[in-house]
Amino acid sequence: MTGFLLRRVLLAVPTLLGVTVVVFATVALVPGDPLTAFLGPGAPPEARQELSERLGLERPLPVRYLGWLAHALHGDLGVSISAQRPVQELLGSALGQTLLLTGAAFLLVLTGGVLLGALGAVRPDRLPGKVCGALSTLAVSAPQYSVALLLIAVFAVRLRWLPAGGTHDVFGSGGPADLLRHLVLPAVAAALVPLGLTAKVFRAALAAVLAGELADSLRARGLSRAAVLRHCVHNASPALLTIGGLQLAYLLEGVVFVETLFAWPGIGRLLFDALSARDLPLVQGGVLLVAVAFVGINLLVDAAHAAVDPRVRG
Amino acid sequence: MTHRHLMTRSRAVALAATLLLPTAGCASSSATAPGSDAGGKGRGGTLVIGATGKLPNPDTVIGGAGFEGKRLVSFQIYEGLTRYDLSVTDKPPAVTGALAESWQVAPDAKTWTFTLRKGVTFQDGTAFDADAVLFNLDRYLKKGSEYWTDALGAAAKEYAGGITGYRKLDADHVELVTKDPNGHFPEDLAHVLIASPTAVKLTGSAKFAQHPVGTGPFAFSSYTEGQQIELVANKTYWRGAPKLDKLVVKPIPDAAARTAALRSGGVNWIEYPNPDDLDSLKADGVQVLTNSYDHLWYWILDTTKAPWSDPRVRRAANFAINRQAIADKLLHGTADPAYQAAPRATAAYDKAGDAYSYDPAKAKQLLAEAGLSGGFASSVTVPTGGSGNLVPVPIAEAIQRDLAAVGIKVELRTTDWSTLIGAEAKGEVALGSDAIAQSTTLFQSEALLPLFVGSNSPFWTGHYANPKVDELLKSAAASPDQAKRQADYRQALGLVTADAPWLFVVNDRNPRALSPKVQGLVQPQSWFLDLTTVSVRP
Repeated sequence: MTGFLLRRVLLAVPTLLGVTVVVFATVALVPGDPLTAFLGPGAPPEARQELSERLGLERPLPVRYLGWLAHALHGDLGVSISAQRPVQELLGSALGQTLLLTGAAFLLVLTGGVLLGALGAVRPDRLPGKVCGALSTLAVSAPQYSVALLLIAVFAVRLRWLPAGGTHDVFGSGGPADLLRHLVLPAVAAALVPLGLTAKVFRAALAAVLAGELADSLRARGLSRAAVLRHCVHNASPALLTIGGLQLAYLLEGVVFVETLFAWPGIGRLLFDALSARDLPLVQGGVLLVAVAFVGINLLVDAAHAAVDPRVRG
Repeated sequence: MTHRHLMTRSRAVALAATLLLPTAGCASSSATAPGSDAGGKGRGGTLVIGATGKLPNPDTVIGGAGFEGKRLVSFQIYEGLTRYDLSVTDKPPAVTGALAESWQVAPDAKTWTFTLRKGVTFQDGTAFDADAVLFNLDRYLKKGSEYWTDALGAAAKEYAGGITGYRKLDADHVELVTKDPNGHFPEDLAHVLIASPTAVKLTGSAKFAQHPVGTGPFAFSSYTEGQQIELVANKTYWRGAPKLDKLVVKPIPDAAARTAALRSGGVNWIEYPNPDDLDSLKADGVQVLTNSYDHLWYWILDTTKAPWSDPRVRRAANFAINRQAIADKLLHGTADPAYQAAPRATAAYDKAGDAYSYDPAKAKQLLAEAGLSGGFASSVTVPTGGSGNLVPVPIAEAIQRDLAAVGIKVELRTTDWSTLIGAEAKGEVALGSDAIAQSTTLFQSEALLPLFVGSNSPFWTGHYANPKVDELLKSAAASPDQAKRQADYRQALGLVTADAPWLFVVNDRNPRALSPKVQGLVQPQSWFLDLTTVSVRP
């Protein structure tokens, strides 16, 4: 098990390095530059020149990359060009918000996915099973942007039950209850697609186990329906682990539009603004963070998978 | 194409509530909100503004969020030696004294003596005087001095770059010298914001953005990364304390989300609502305020590429487009058709200068004269968004249809705003098209005019060159006489209109939507706003 995990960690290093190279090159090579974004298009050429020298934009790309890498390895991700503040500071506050949103959405994905999937698998030919199947398909295929707007239109604008965006109410008292109210709509909007996918995968996995020899033998031994189901759910759980891990990673990187639409100050929105401003240090730091999280989650999923199923340890 | 447009778009004590500006297609929008009488009955409240861009860096001139950040935050916290008089709605704002009461210029039009306002204090209690002015100019211009940073130096260059000397004459007088004769220097100085020396020394320049202090009507209170910036009324403001208790700016980049935030009560004011939402917002009792400012939405044509190199072809295109339909149907009255280079609400505008109209027959005739009766194909790079660009792609599509009707087939190539202006600042066209679509505020700084229409501009201007225009702009810039500058600008832009290096499309009217509770806003003919007259009733 230790050897398996070590191999996984070692494999993660070139993956992360690869990500940083690709991001650095992409942001540096796409048209547009941070000087115009920072100084404005009306800035005199000499101002652009001075700033360009200070930011080291004149140096060859590989030199700039290696310089960045050397600092990054010492835990220094540089200073954001647009905000003029250390990248770590900006990422730190945004990461907390993204984790909160992702965590809430993931909770919905797991509970909703398991419930819909299980109901669909247990009663595939009855109305509840069909409704669950339809709901899963709807969740996967509904255009997220439209659904998010619909949620805002119904729950924030018409019914006024929940706020339309942000993390707390300027006119309210603040506190955890206020935060929770603000969390509901973005979490639901972010969770829909992964919830539908999770439900579909779990339904298929559970249905396969329920139709297999294990279930037959359990039934033959006279176990109750609930006991049979419990055993079958356990056997279908590796599939849940895999899809759950993938969906968590998807959520982490996929909340950009939800964060933008709901004015949620997380990593996705920070990265979106940074890209618009061609703020290379911030983009690079943000993507690295997301990549680390992605790789880390995969690692955890692999480890959990290996713990549940000895065959994958190799 | 000024700062503001990096993220968005963009100038009253109250004249009376009598000023419901009667404008084409916009009769139900006004330039004043109820209660906008200077005496003002309303007082207090918290104004929460949903902004289109991200939160600005609140360190003086750095901004970092385009002109919207300057309008809503920097210009509220700080002031320059001068300011725009934003109290009138029927003409472009004049430049008036702020931290300087008055000024004189020597006959060389380069040496300026400013008499500073007495009795002004910064929000931290520090007295404003000549030393504070010098401290700030050092911070912007004296490379290597203790509080100078390259970011500040670079950001200050646009407005203060022409200052070559400055000295204190006595506690209430400073002398500033510019490199070249500069008639619009007082306006430039409205953008050179003055920070409290005590506060800068306390934090150092690097951390000043976290505790900014100026002399403006609102004092910094808190900054929550990515969420909001909170300002509170400066009760000792020299023009009188603002009516509001608190001003909160929240970044809500998505137009639909901004409208929803206003409707759900999360904010009580939104910048640039989607024009499509205006009718339903008005039906819900929301106030929609608009007014002209120096904005122009246009296409820059490559005047060196055939057939755009032929002025007849460029004029033909200008006769081919139905601007009124774009302004009324697409933009729901939030813009006016532009029939000339000078935007409405600028000193250079003269209605008599309207040279174009919607006349497809004339367009076809001009094309035939140019030997193009069979039409031709061209391309344009259009930004997908960006401050001040309104709804760029739908507008470009409408123009595309109109041009196709006279035989000019244009391929639209879309790209993001950063890419377009980044290339333009380097003298290039993103995606190599024959034209670019964009917007600008031509007169935000007169110093910038040569960048748009001068033949030596480092920017991509479609290679437009007219020596007479250069001469007029130079002569205007050198004269402190505003009437002369105005006449020169009018003449210069008249030439640009006739040369038609651009496809003049619309002048934005700067729409914003306000909850019925918001009172007292007077919307000037400017990108900037005076928020001291605003209040929010409970």
